[in-house]
Amino acid sequence: MSWLIGGAMVLAAIAGLAVVLSRDPSRQIYALAANGIVLTLLFFVLQAPDVALSELAVNTVITPLLFLVTLAAARINKARQ
Amino acid sequence: MTTPWRLALFVLALIVLVPAVWHVALALPAFGAPTEQYGAAVNALLTATRHVTNMVAAVNFDVRGFDTLGEESMLVCAVTGAVVLLRGTRGESMTDRAGKIPGRAVAPRTDATVLVCRIAATLTLLFGVYMALHGTVTPGGGFQGGAIAGSSLMLLYLGEGYESWRRMVRSPALDVLEGGGAFVFVGAAAVPLMLGYALLQNVLPFGTPKDLYSGGLMVVANFAVGVSVAGSFGLLLLEFMEETRSPDSESMPDEED
Repeated sequence: MSWLIGGAMVLAAIAGLAVVLSRDPSRQIYALAANGIVLTLLFFVLQAPDVALSELAVNTVITPLLFLVTLAAARINKARQ
Repeated sequence: MTTPWRLALFVLALIVLVPAVWHVALALPAFGAPTEQYGAAVNALLTATRHVTNMVAAVNFDVRGFDTLGEESMLVCAVTGAVVLLRGTRGESMTDRAGKIPGRAVAPRTDATVLVCRIAATLTLLFGVYMALHGTVTPGGGFQGGAIAGSSLMLLYLGEGYESWRRMVRSPALDVLEGGGAFVFVGAAAVPLMLGYALLQNVLPFGTPKDLYSGGLMVVANFAVGVSVAGSFGLLLLEFMEETRSPDSESMPDEED
């Protein structure tokens, strides 16, 4: 069990680093979604299924999607001008 | 700010913060230490007194239900604010039509994509409703169930394309879901108050543990929150998507006003 927690924590550190280090906004959004999946795994391993479910729905689906749509809207409006 | 200044600030912050963080970290209970007293009390008492098996739901919707009422109102206010801002710039008259940018190609979808998305969206919606209803029995609950139901709308969009999606998912219906869910939750809080009990006091019969109906008022509150959250996320998605489609104001017919 402990190596599972350790592995999930290492993954969370890597995924978090990927979010910070990616400079291109659209790539950063996918890194954020991946980070959400890894955090879901971490919460699940730490036996917090309720938090894991919220994390999965909000941080891997809804937040990245809203960011992507915002980015698309910004690009479309820029192209129009 | 130049790089040396930034470095100096960083080192200064390090000198101040590291001892403080170290001090606090050492005072924390060890990783994986036995549960806190509060958690132990909740685990010991709430199955007997509230007939629920998911203690998180029991704490959220009963023991500190007032906090959840505040959180729910906060979510409703935030979503309403975002919708007002986005709709306000487009005009209220456009709410029931799918925006369209002239000359933009619509990517065709294969039959397989449409079929998979329809099946997956239905199953996801069903799972969201299941989770919102079983909040007192298994992990999950209103918020999670609502968010899952909201994401089924995205799958539907993926399969159907924007225009048919807008024909299926009506924004007034989402408004009613969002506001109605919040209204029922506030009602569940206020009715005990009017009957002379405390706010959100569990006045309904508790039901059987591990059953669909267990936890009394918690089932109502859970489902109301689920409906409201599903409506909120659907509305957010719809208004944000519309933002990428709205034609610019010059090409819009303005003769009506």
